[in-house]
Amino acid sequence: MQTLHSSQSVRPFKLRKSFATRLEEVAGIRAKFPTKIPVIVERYQKEKYLPLLDKTKFLVPQELTMTQFITIIRSRMALNATQAFYLLVNNKSLASMSLTLAEVYRDYKDEDGFVYMTYASQEMFGCLLPTAQGKLMECPLKT
Amino acid sequence: MDAATLTYDTLRFEYEDFPETKDPVWILGRTYSVFTEKEEILLDVTSRFWFTYRKNFPAIGGTGPTSDTGWGCMLRCGQMIFAQALVCRHLGRDWRWVKGKRQTDNYFNILNAFIDKKDSYYSVHQIAQMGVGEGKSIGQWYGPNTVAQVLKKLATFDTWSSLAVHIAMDNTVVMEEIRRLCKSNFLCAGAAAFPAAESDLFYNGYPDGAEVTDRLSLWKPLVLLIPLRLGLTDINEAYIETLKHCFMMPQSLGVIGGKPNSAHYFIGYVGEELIYLDPHTTQPAVEPSDNSCIPDESFHCQHPPCRMSIAELDPSIAVGFFCNTEEDFNDWCQEIKKLSLLKGVLPMFELVEHQPSHFSSPDVLNLTPDSSDADRLERFFDSEDEDFEILSL
Repeated sequence: MQTLHSSQSVRPFKLRKSFATRLEEVAGIRAKFPTKIPVIVERYQKEKYLPLLDKTKFLVPQELTMTQFITIIRSRMALNATQAFYLLVNNKSLASMSLTLAEVYRDYKDEDGFVYMTYASQEMFGCLLPTAQGKLMECPLKT
Repeated sequence: MDAATLTYDTLRFEYEDFPETKDPVWILGRTYSVFTEKEEILLDVTSRFWFTYRKNFPAIGGTGPTSDTGWGCMLRCGQMIFAQALVCRHLGRDWRWVKGKRQTDNYFNILNAFIDKKDSYYSVHQIAQMGVGEGKSIGQWYGPNTVAQVLKKLATFDTWSSLAVHIAMDNTVVMEEIRRLCKSNFLCAGAAAFPAAESDLFYNGYPDGAEVTDRLSLWKPLVLLIPLRLGLTDINEAYIETLKHCFMMPQSLGVIGGKPNSAHYFIGYVGEELIYLDPHTTQPAVEPSDNSCIPDESFHCQHPPCRMSIAELDPSIAVGFFCNTEEDFNDWCQEIKKLSLLKGVLPMFELVEHQPSHFSSPDVLNLTPDSSDADRLERFFDSEDEDFEILSL
């Protein structure tokens, strides 16, 4: 399902802000909300189907589980239950759904103090042709 | 495009034979030695249904495409994994296809369910048209989850197979959900479902007591599909061992996925290589005719199967399993639990008894566990502080 945001691309948070700024930001927010986890949630740069979230930085209760967190994000995007949605921690791992955010933070936090998550759906598969998908679809119609 | 339209004959000599290796070859839950069982390996591979691009089939939707070359590879892979489920259901994992040998009615019933015409249960026509409901127009590319969702819908019309198809989302398999699904037919829909099964029994000349046994065990045969994303651009190496283990389980239906852009049906592995059936060969459509005399040779891959390095696998996949009985399912659960305890192995999905509650803190545990949870959670997005979105319980 194409969305209005699909063509937008945003520079990753880490590139927008210096390490020192990020470190400072975490220190400030942790002092203010010691029981909440600072999480950066970004869309995979090549994602074509899922919409862009209007927020990148989240402060999440530490006892929240990954299931709960994903439920929130899914409902934010108004995804239905059959749509593929994956939240990868540090760009590579599917965190176990029963982990709490505190546990995810313990295992995966970045040296700047944030924990980074990237969301993506699944890739689609078709013939390797340089032309757009739309062109491809016409080939079989002509033969 | 050229590679996609080459026929099997022109490609024949490019297929490498199996490497001489001490590593065991795993094919859908069976293990073989390259040194002593090469014939058996090839016979096992050839016995799988091989669905490829086809041309000159009746136009999809009457006026649509008459070939799926260039766009149908994931649809074909979906057909292959599902056909394997039907083979396990109706013929058994040990059944073998022997060229030229007269096959049973059950075999032709399976094949007929995938023939390129509009009224076959799982034809490319049905899959492409059912995909419209998943937001895919006819001719658009599918992902592993897309084809899994479509096959699940199509399976409800296949009363002959009477399968319970479960797709585990969010990399979580909930045992309770599966048990409920597999036993549902016998609790409420029994009265409606049995007459249909009875008439099928008659028309298909079902000879043995398999159906009766199934009913006594009160378990609908389960097709479990788990769509996953094991990384963003590349597969996270930590998942490779678990992926290999999936091919070692007796319940394995293999994996659908591919290399970037090209979908493959993975049926096993040897060493660090995956073994797969490739749909990227265009064959002429087989004329639909009387059930029992469909020319079937082009639906079986008669050359050594393709192989590729596991590291090349695109991270978007769907893993499949078939559990004919409740005991099969319990065994599968035990194996998955054991696997999660192995050191240095990262599980690809989580197995849990109950649907994880959307709330865990004591003051919200009393909320009803239904879709309204999401709405309630939504209200917790209440305040903002320095650009942070603050979630509270």
